[in-house]
Amino acid sequence: MITHPYLRAYLAGIFVPTLVLPLLLAGFIIVRLVLAQPVPIERFIIFPMAVVPSLFGLWNMLYLWSHARTHLPIGVHGAILPFLGAPIGAFVASCLGILQIGAHGITWFHACEIPYPLFALVFLAAVAGYYLVWKYIVGYLNRVLGIA
Amino acid sequence: MNAHDQDRVQHLLKQALPPVASESEPELDLWPAVLRRLDAHPAARSRFKWVWFDCALLAGLALVSAAFPASIPLLLYYL
Repeated sequence: MITHPYLRAYLAGIFVPTLVLPLLLAGFIIVRLVLAQPVPIERFIIFPMAVVPSLFGLWNMLYLWSHARTHLPIGVHGAILPFLGAPIGAFVASCLGILQIGAHGITWFHACEIPYPLFALVFLAAVAGYYLVWKYIVGYLNRVLGIA
Repeated sequence: MNAHDQDRVQHLLKQALPPVASESEPELDLWPAVLRRLDAHPAARSRFKWVWFDCALLAGLALVSAAFPASIPLLLYYL
C-alpha cells in the first residue's frame, strides 16, 4: 500500500475523536433527558464534532510530512497538539457562551467553576492524555496503515 | 636484544601459543547472536523505562479525573 499516504494519515488521525464522540454524545443525552439537567449540548458538541477530528487528522498528516526532518516521537508530536487546540477550543466555547473566563477561574455551563491553578493541572493531564493516545492508538494505526 | 635472543623469544612464543589453522572457522556463527544482543538489550531497557513513564502518566491522569470530577467534561471536550 504505497498510495495516498496523507489520506491514510488523516484517517488514522480522526479515529480516536470519531470513536469518542458518540460516547460523549450518549453521555450528554443521558444527562439531559434522563437526569433532566439543562446541558446546552448543541453548543457544547460543535467543537468536539467539527474541529477536534479535523485537528487530529491534520496533525497526523503534519506528523507524516515532518517526521523525516524532525524525528520527533509520535507521542511528543501529539502532546504538542493541546497547546494549539486548547486556545481554539476555549475561543469557540467562549463565543458559544458555554465558557466564561473570570478573574479567578473559568466557568463551564454557568455552573462548573475551575480555578486557574486547577485548570493548569487539568491542562497537564490533557497533555499527558494526548501523549498516551498518540503514542499508543494513533501510532498503532499508523503502523497498521503502513505509514509509520 | 641480539639475534640469538630474538630467536629464543620467537621459539618460546611458538611453544607457548597453540598453532592456528589457516582455514579453520568457528563451529557456530556468532555474529547474528552479537547483533541480536546489540539490538535487544538497549531496546528492552528503554521500553521498560518508557512503560513505567507511561504508566505514571496514566495514573496521574486518572488521579486528576478522580480528584477533580469537574475536569472530566473539560478533558472530553478536547477529544
